[in-house]
Amino acid sequence: MIINVDSPVLEIHDLTVSYDQSPVLWNVDLSLPAGKLIGILGPNGAGKSTLIKAVMGLIPITGGYVKLFDRELNEVRSRISYVPQRESVDWNFPASVLDVVMMGTYGKLGLFRRPGKKEKKIAMDCLEKVGMQAFVDRQISELSGGQQQRVFIARALAQEADLYLMDEPFAGVDMATETAIFQLLQEMTAAGKTVIVVHHDIHSAMNYFDWIIMLNLHLVASGPKAQVVTEELLRKTYGGKLNLLTKVTDIIRQKDFNPLKS
Amino acid sequence: MSDFLYFFTFQDSSIAFVVIGITLLGIGSAYVGTYSFLDKKALLGDAISHAVLPGICLGFMLAGEKNPIYIVTGAFLSGALATFLTSWLKSNTRLSDDAIIASILSIFFGFGVVLLTVIQKSGNPEMAGLNQFIFGNAIAILEEDLYIYGGLAILIIITLTAFRKEFSMLVFNADFGKSIGYPMGAIRLVFNVLMILAVVIGIQAIGVVLMAALLIAPGAAARFWTDKLGKLLLIAGAFSAVSGILGTYVSFVIPQMPTGPWVVVFLSLFAFASFLFAPKKGVLSRFIARKYYLKKTHQDHLLKLIYHGLESGKNSFPIEEIYESFPYRKRQTKHTIDELLKTDLLTLNQGLIDFTSKGKSEAKRIVRLHRLWELYLNEYMNIAPDHVHDSAEKLEHILTPELEALLENRLNYPKLDPHQEAIPRDNDEL
Repeated sequence: MIINVDSPVLEIHDLTVSYDQSPVLWNVDLSLPAGKLIGILGPNGAGKSTLIKAVMGLIPITGGYVKLFDRELNEVRSRISYVPQRESVDWNFPASVLDVVMMGTYGKLGLFRRPGKKEKKIAMDCLEKVGMQAFVDRQISELSGGQQQRVFIARALAQEADLYLMDEPFAGVDMATETAIFQLLQEMTAAGKTVIVVHHDIHSAMNYFDWIIMLNLHLVASGPKAQVVTEELLRKTYGGKLNLLTKVTDIIRQKDFNPLKS
Repeated sequence: MSDFLYFFTFQDSSIAFVVIGITLLGIGSAYVGTYSFLDKKALLGDAISHAVLPGICLGFMLAGEKNPIYIVTGAFLSGALATFLTSWLKSNTRLSDDAIIASILSIFFGFGVVLLTVIQKSGNPEMAGLNQFIFGNAIAILEEDLYIYGGLAILIIITLTAFRKEFSMLVFNADFGKSIGYPMGAIRLVFNVLMILAVVIGIQAIGVVLMAALLIAPGAAARFWTDKLGKLLLIAGAFSAVSGILGTYVSFVIPQMPTGPWVVVFLSLFAFASFLFAPKKGVLSRFIARKYYLKKTHQDHLLKLIYHGLESGKNSFPIEEIYESFPYRKRQTKHTIDELLKTDLLTLNQGLIDFTSKGKSEAKRIVRLHRLWELYLNEYMNIAPDHVHDSAEKLEHILTPELEALLENRLNYPKLDPHQEAIPRDNDEL
């Protein structure tokens, strides 16, 4: 069940991605509407993070293309914000909360120029939106997991983008933070922004998202929640490994080259 | 003493030049090194510094003399080749990082030593100066060399300062930088060039074997003192510059003494002192904090003991009974009682111990925290009443007033703990 839309915010065409030798995403083809809260679901190792990394051009793609706002990524970067996984950075880095949130303004600021009063103001406003204004001068090494995640979201808000891609923003956060982040994301979509979230918990996903993408190495489903959340599709997504696909991946890994690369 | 005055009053302009040079070099390499230390790439600096040796020798062979331009260029190219090979091997083989770095380091250095031997056998009278590149000799640096080394050091410092936000992002979250369209590949390249340059300018003064220490040790030592990047860079720069000057002084006073090892000795002193004495992160301050905590827990336990006595109907507590309750710890217990008397929590009257009102409310607080926590474990975590004591025994010392309020609220101001003992509040009668 893959539902396509007219004038999509994000169009992924026949996307194949491999890490070294092993393909991790096979021919993903979908289009997404604007102003929705969209969840990417799938089991561990399904390629959820890989999908948004490929969209952001952070890993090379083996085949296919991605269009954002009907343009190439480089033409519309300032309208897109990416929130990496919280665990992907070293939180012992000597920086304050303000330093990290201010990074959100670097895209518009450009190389070489230093952030000034205007950037600080934006960062402060965004910290307030995530309820972290009291922590502005705190060192990031002293934050809890939930607070770290809020800082990352504040940084994304400081980018003032139209499309947000977030990698596991709910992972390892406390209940209060989860609710606060969810409310914030809802406000953002109500204001016309599109938010795409990699998520691991099916139960909360049912409450959170308007549109759901189900992924397990290949695209199982993409569409409005009411239409795609069926027992059959869930079983296809989570029900055991795709034995055949895994075997093909193994064969490819044993070759000296990747036959999928053109 | 006269040496000391002669050196540090800079009567000799060549000494002033050397000191300026070593200061710039120290600050420059500490800056680069601090970033690579934060980036967890400390070993790369070591590999590069060993890998410049063949370049130095080839530069010498081509020039036929100790020409700084030839030597700097040779060293840079050889360092660049080593850096390039490191990342090429990483992306094109399945070798692990440490294997790649160890191979590059030893192969390049081995080749360099072979070239050095060839040059020495050639009987070139200029070759005397070349040995200095192994362990460094700051005093032998000529004024014209200093312009090159000093100039490069200033270039490094300026570039790192101007691109501070870019380099910070490279270390903290390069993927994010890439996602906002920054050319992170080019920024990494510039950083690697700066790192090689930092090694190149240090080879004359410090030598290839020990240059890595000047890159990494200042940042590692400074990290004990601060959590702020700006301060970290300043402290690292200061450690490095001071060690550089002291090392140079030693090799000035003692003839034939190489500079590099002495700089490293002074750097190690700074690093060791930071490790021991830095506030919060240093060993000593952690030791004191632990001592203080143990003292506090003993005080708490003593107050609780007296409270339990009064609770079970005693009117006062003979001091001997307290000693008996803590067998083999009489000295410590006596000390703790003295402290509690001094801080006005207890009174001692004819061998009988009693609370002051301040002491009573403190004892109630500890007992209250203990019992609240027991009840919380029992009610919210379904832990049996006979299993909750040990955890409460530890947490009663660290629960904060905010957590106490939260527990009271969550448990709805309970009267009894899981063992049916009263949870005391400040106004309750004992």
